Amino acid sequence: MHISWPVRVLVYFAVAIAAFAVLFPLLWMLLSAFKSQADIINPDAPIFPTHWHWSNIRDAWTAAPFGRFFINTAIFSAATTVGQVITGMIAGYAFAMFTFPGRRILFYGVLSGLMIPFPVVIVPVVELLADFGWIDSYQGLIVPNLASALGCFLYRQFFLSAPVDLAESARLDGASEWRIFWSIYRPLAQPMTAALTTIVFLQNWNNFLFPLVVTSKESLMLISQGLTIFQGQLLGTQYNLLMAGSLIAVVPVLIVAMFAQRRVVAGLMIGATR
Amino acid sequence: MKGGPVKRWARPRSSIAPPKPTRPRGIRLRTWSTAYAFVLPVLGLTVLFSVVPLVMVIRRSLYKGNIFDTNLKFAGLDNYRAVFATGGGHSLLVTLIYTVGFVAVCMIAGIAVALLLDLPLPGLGAVRALFIIPLVVPAVATAFIWFALFQPQTGLFNRVLTAVDLPQVTLSDPTIAVLAIISFGAWQFFGEVVILYLAALKTLPRDVVEAAVVDGSNAWQRLRYIRLPLLRPQTALIAVISTLTGLQAFTQIFVLTNGGPNGATQTALYYVYNQAFGLGAGGSVGNADAMAVILFVISILVTVAQVVVVGRASRAVV
Repeated sequence: MHISWPVRVLVYFAVAIAAFAVLFPLLWMLLSAFKSQADIINPDAPIFPTHWHWSNIRDAWTAAPFGRFFINTAIFSAATTVGQVITGMIAGYAFAMFTFPGRRILFYGVLSGLMIPFPVVIVPVVELLADFGWIDSYQGLIVPNLASALGCFLYRQFFLSAPVDLAESARLDGASEWRIFWSIYRPLAQPMTAALTTIVFLQNWNNFLFPLVVTSKESLMLISQGLTIFQGQLLGTQYNLLMAGSLIAVVPVLIVAMFAQRRVVAGLMIGATR
Repeated sequence: MKGGPVKRWARPRSSIAPPKPTRPRGIRLRTWSTAYAFVLPVLGLTVLFSVVPLVMVIRRSLYKGNIFDTNLKFAGLDNYRAVFATGGGHSLLVTLIYTVGFVAVCMIAGIAVALLLDLPLPGLGAVRALFIIPLVVPAVATAFIWFALFQPQTGLFNRVLTAVDLPQVTLSDPTIAVLAIISFGAWQFFGEVVILYLAALKTLPRDVVEAAVVDGSNAWQRLRYIRLPLLRPQTALIAVISTLTGLQAFTQIFVLTNGGPNGATQTALYYVYNQAFGLGAGGSVGNADAMAVILFVISILVTVAQVVVVGRASRAVV
């Protein structure tokens, strides 16, 4: 397709505006994170820091137990992601590859059950966890998040179009059902597993509402909830430290997402690619 | 037949594409135990953490009592009446305003950027990555940025407004507060719409578009009469995904306004949160349950609308 140069200029200009709209809040965070408190509260101070206060990062880091928050977030995200991918994969595989009584009704049951939005059931879930004695515990954070509708649905779709003859010949050779799944079919789904794992991991890493209602102990907080505590401690005045804390939370995810960019995009359009 | 059987399983089938009939499976497993064992974890977790709580929430929305009270009393629709007496009706209105604004901005900005990035020009592929940044970084952290942007005197917005001699804005103004949570929501989510539309644009049948070029149509005509109508099923799906996301907005409200000023940004979900967890003894779990049921009904209606609209849109195209 030929595109004339005035149109090209317009296109690049429009894309630049859109990119700026996405980036300027992040740039504002970056600039504010390194300003002095005096520059922050002075409306006449320049937008760029007059002096870069790198020590803001250290001050923010010591103002809240960020190390603890990161460890908690890593434990939570790793456990729930592995859980969601594996439970989704084996269930989707079973729904696609096996014929068994109640298959259809169980599949649609799981699907509609898992599509109940979490906010709708938030109150009774917290009560259930309280009954188990799981409030303020890792199992309370993790166990309710071990299943996902998306994974189950996507793997079922995937395995429905996988060849069945592989399983049949393996069965004739006497392979167990688990071995057929694990050695033959699981590797086939590898590209989708990679994309799904990436996106589910990021979602879990950023989960806010669930940990907020299940934990109140600082030693169990994830990074998002930890930041809100941090905000309260600063009494809403030290925006430079608040931005430094936000920067601490944003940068690691940003680096990982940039390195795994293809997987992230594949994950975001999972179910939308053909 | 092009591609052969190997290619067919290599490609994940999409949920956004028109549904294909599932082909019958040849396997009849004599022992069903494997199948049930594979399905059990998801099934058990779903029943325990979704189905049972849903039944609880519906049942309890009809009863009065405290969160750990064992002697609940049947109250009929009292909780629902109480919801509307405690600002729940206004919350539903806020939810409607927020969701409409959020979906409109996301859809319009999303398809516009996707159409631009879809053009075969050098460098555009690299820019795509920028639009996913707000989606993947923690929303609490980026919501703090909005908090800083809206600061009186020193926030970026107020600096710009002062520079052009306009009055200052603040989050304690109800209109500004609503605009702030909508703009944050759209900023955070519209990259998803871009990515979904980019994927959808790749699925358009190339021969149809090329035939239109041969017939002498201009770019606007091709967009208006060929590409957008062909995208209708995906548009319906993306709109529903956005709507369901909009109905669940929480983070920026928590960070920026806490539902205020004076309930101006208290959405239905935030009402549930406030009644059950946010107000201490001032809240009522019965009200939270009743509003959760209302929220559930709305979500169901949106999902049903999706099935109907997507179905009609795909038929219209075929």
